[in-house]
Amino acid sequence: MKPIRMQTIKHRTRSFLIVALGVALASTSFADNKNKGGTKGAPAGKAGGGAAGGAAGSGAGGGSGAAGDEGIEIDSSGSGAGSGSAAGSGDSGTIDMEEEEKPQGSLEAELQATETKQTVKAGEVKKTPLSWKDILVVVRKPFLKVRRTELNPFTSVTMNDNMITHYGIGGEFAYYLTDVLAIGVEGQYFVHNFGEPFDLVARQARRLPTVNQYNWSAALDFHYVPVYGKFAVLDRKLVAWEVFFTAGIGAGQSEVIPRDTKYPGFTNILIEPNLGASMRFFLAKWLTINLGVRDYMFLDKFEPTDRSPTMNATASEAKDNADSSFINNIMFQIGVSFWLPTTFEYTTFR
Amino acid sequence: MSNKRILLASLIGVASLMSSAYAERRTNGLAKDVAVRHRRLLVKQRFEATPLFESTINAEFQHIVGGGLKLEYHLSDMLSIGGIGVFAKNINTKLTDRIVPTLEASPNDMTREPSQDEFTQHLNSMPLHGAAYVSVTPWYGKLAAFSQAYVAFDFYFQGGVSFAQLKNDCPQSLCSDSNPFMAKNEMTPPDNNPNNDPPLNSGSRVGLYLGGGIHVFLSDFLALDLTVRDYAFSDNPSGADYNADLCVGKNPTTGEDDNRFLHHLFFGAGVSIMFPTTVKRTP
Repeated sequence: MKPIRMQTIKHRTRSFLIVALGVALASTSFADNKNKGGTKGAPAGKAGGGAAGGAAGSGAGGGSGAAGDEGIEIDSSGSGAGSGSAAGSGDSGTIDMEEEEKPQGSLEAELQATETKQTVKAGEVKKTPLSWKDILVVVRKPFLKVRRTELNPFTSVTMNDNMITHYGIGGEFAYYLTDVLAIGVEGQYFVHNFGEPFDLVARQARRLPTVNQYNWSAALDFHYVPVYGKFAVLDRKLVAWEVFFTAGIGAGQSEVIPRDTKYPGFTNILIEPNLGASMRFFLAKWLTINLGVRDYMFLDKFEPTDRSPTMNATASEAKDNADSSFINNIMFQIGVSFWLPTTFEYTTFR
Repeated sequence: MSNKRILLASLIGVASLMSSAYAERRTNGLAKDVAVRHRRLLVKQRFEATPLFESTINAEFQHIVGGGLKLEYHLSDMLSIGGIGVFAKNINTKLTDRIVPTLEASPNDMTREPSQDEFTQHLNSMPLHGAAYVSVTPWYGKLAAFSQAYVAFDFYFQGGVSFAQLKNDCPQSLCSDSNPFMAKNEMTPPDNNPNNDPPLNSGSRVGLYLGGGIHVFLSDFLALDLTVRDYAFSDNPSGADYNADLCVGKNPTTGEDDNRFLHHLFFGAGVSIMFPTTVKRTP
C-alpha cells in the first residue's frame, strides 16, 4: 500500500504541475489578446501605435509594457533634445510619470489641450526616433464623479397636462457610489397655472373641469449613467456630456380644486414612483447643467361629480366618494449642479 | 492513468481556448478605430431622405398622428436646406372623450350648450402639414453607450416656413347660421348662439416653423432622427367661440377673430438615409 500512496502523491504533483502550466498558458493567451486590443487601438499613430499598446498594458497591468517597447528611445537629461516626461526627472533611464502642474478647475482647457496635442497631420510621415512623447494614450474621462456629492437645484414644468400647468422648484442631493451609480434625495414645491382649455371647456362646452393641484413631492432616487460622450460646438469648443436614467420612489401631496368654491377641497397623500432620463453637460470640474424628463406616477383622488348640500358636502364625505385615476405627471426639469469636492484626482496615469 | 492524463490535458486545452475567446469578445467597436479623428461622419454635399413618424405633444382636443418624408440637402457640414411633408389622421384626446358623453344628445338652443355632434363637428383635422426650412448643425460629437456602443451624433436646429391644410366638414344641418354677426332680418336680432355657427377653421395656413433634433448615426449612411417641431399658424382647433362675442369668426365690429396664432408641437422619429452612402473621411 505504501508504494502505491507514494505513486499517487507523485502523480498528483505531476497533475498539479500540468494544471498550473495550463492556467499559465490560458492567462498568457488572455493577456496577449488584451495587448492586441491595445495595439489595434492606435493605428493612426503608426510609429507610436505599438508603443501605445505597450503603454496601455503597462498602465493596466502594472508590469511589462516598458520592457516590451523595443526601439523606444528614452530621452536622457543630458541630451537636451527632448523634453518628455523622462527628461524632467534628471535621472537617466528612469521615467517620471508625474504629471506637470496644471491649473485646476478648467475642464474646457484640459479638453482643448487633449485635442490639440493629438492632431493628426496628413501627408508623408517623417520617420523619427521614437520617444515617450510619441506614445498615444487613451483619453481619460474628463469628469469623475465617484465619491462626490451633487447639489442640484432645479426648476420643472408639466409637459402632459393642458388643463393645469405646474411649475416646480426643488433640489436634489446625490452621492455617487461609483462613476455611474448614484443615490439621492429630491424635493419639490409646486405652483400652478390654468391652461387655455380650462377656460375654453367651461365657456364653450359649459363644463367645469375637475382638476387637482400638486403641492409638494419628495423622493429617494437612484441614478445610472450608461451613456457619455463629447461634442464640438461650432468646431471650436468641446463639451463633455452624459445621459443618465433615474428610478425612484417617493411621496407627494395633491389638493382638489373645488369646482364650486362653496364646497371645501381636500388633500391626498400620494405614493409616487418615478422614472426619468436626463442629460448632463460639463462646464467645469465643479459645475454641470442638467436637463431631462421625469415621469411621476401615482393614483390620485379627484372631486366626485355630484356635490350638493345633501351629497358630498363635507371634505371627508367627498374624499370617501372620490374618483380615483392613475396619473402620469411628466415634467421637464432643468437645473445646475454643484459638485463637492470641487475638484478630483485621477487614480491612474494619463 | 493514461486516460486521466488525456482528459486533464483536454480540459486545460478547452480552458485555454475559452479564455482566448473571452478575451476576443472583450474588445469593442473602438478596437478597429483610429486613436484620434476629427468629425467622423461628414455630410457636406450629401442628400438626406428621412421617412418619419410624427405625433402632437400635449394636444388639446385631437391628437394628430401621421407619417411623412423629410428631404434635406447638406450644403456644408453645418448648413442644409430641406422640406418636410406629413400626412396625418386625427384621434380624439382623452379630454374630448370625457366631454362628449356628458353633452346633450340633440341641439337645444335654450341651454347654450353644444350637442355632442355640434361639439365634435366643430373640431378641425389636419390631413397635411409640413415646412420648408434652413437647418444649422452647430454641435456634433460621439458618445459611448454602456461602454460598448460608440456612435456619432449631432444636434441641429431648424427654422423656416410652415404650412398646413386644415379640414372641417361640419354639415349644413348643424352649422346653419350662415351670417352669425347679422340679424336674419330687420325684425330679428342675431341669435347669439355660437353652437350653430360655421367653425371657419378649415383651409390652407402658412406660418412659422421651428425645430430641433438629434441624429444618432448607426452607420455611414443611416441615422436615427429624433426631432421636436413647432408649426405655428393661425388656427381655432375647437371651432367654437374663443373670444366670447357669442359668434364664431371675425367680428366686423371689434375686428377680433376666434382664429389665433397657435403653436402646434410635434415629436417626430425617423430613419435618415444619406446619399451617397459612402463618405469621405477626415485624415
